[in-house]
Amino acid sequence: MAGMESPWVLDEDDALDLLAFLVTAARTQVDEAREYGPMRLLMAAHRLAEAMEPRSSPDTRSVIGEDLPRMPALAVPRGDGSEDYVARLDALCASVGALLVHRYAPEEERP
Amino acid sequence: MTSPAVDTRSNPVIQAIRSRRVVRALTDEPVDRVTVEAILDAARWAPTAGNRHLQRFVVTDDPGTLRALRMVSPGMVQRPTAVVAVCVDWEAVAAYGFPRHVTGPYVDVGTALATILLAAHALGVGAGPVSSFSRAAVGAVLRLPPGWTAEVLVCLGYPAPAQLPPFARTRRLTWRDLTTWLPRR
Repeated sequence: MAGMESPWVLDEDDALDLLAFLVTAARTQVDEAREYGPMRLLMAAHRLAEAMEPRSSPDTRSVIGEDLPRMPALAVPRGDGSEDYVARLDALCASVGALLVHRYAPEEERP
Repeated sequence: MTSPAVDTRSNPVIQAIRSRRVVRALTDEPVDRVTVEAILDAARWAPTAGNRHLQRFVVTDDPGTLRALRMVSPGMVQRPTAVVAVCVDWEAVAAYGFPRHVTGPYVDVGTALATILLAAHALGVGAGPVSSFSRAAVGAVLRLPPGWTAEVLVCLGYPAPAQLPPFARTRRLTWRDLTTWLPRR
């Protein structure tokens, strides 16, 4: 909850893993196919989720353990399938948004 | 369609080529060093331009090095128990008088890669190539000598029962999709 001290969900090794992935993915993206961009970001999200899940709150765990796996780290399909890809990504984004508003601005605390 | 005069179904080499798959989910069972060396011995037989052998193999089964390699290789989704880095020795390339931008050494990397994948398959080892990695970071992790660059990493391990879906789904191609026959004159 906002204002409460949050427990650590990552240790330095977990964070270093993600940092290295993001930095090197920035470099490989210069040379990679455009449709790999979202896939690399999803890979980072999956790696982060894997590290976070054991120490996360139940609400967060429900998103990273149930909603995120519905969006595997795949490249944006060319042609058929791209709309479904975007729809699934939107659904995941909506789940994350719902988690955030529940965590930081629950209904009863909104002005 | 296969020519009736050519029996590809009973040919073990053709069957190995057709049944090989990129393996992207591996168990944590290590591949013993003798098996890795057998794969490297096969790679030594890959054709190289002018029989020059300008590629080098850097191999690790050290858990810490494997962990660091994976951290700087966004394309490495598997957790291999051994990795072969196929490198180019650019100082050796230059010593033959080739300019720095010559593309021939990459062809040799490709033949070595294909041979490693097939050799691993023949020995029951799962293998998957990774080309999405930071050359600079991998060079540092593997402590490559000056002038060497890693061009592809081959992940080795034993295939997990469940494999990951391909990154991108494409229709299955036939050789005709990839081939242009020039007419006889």
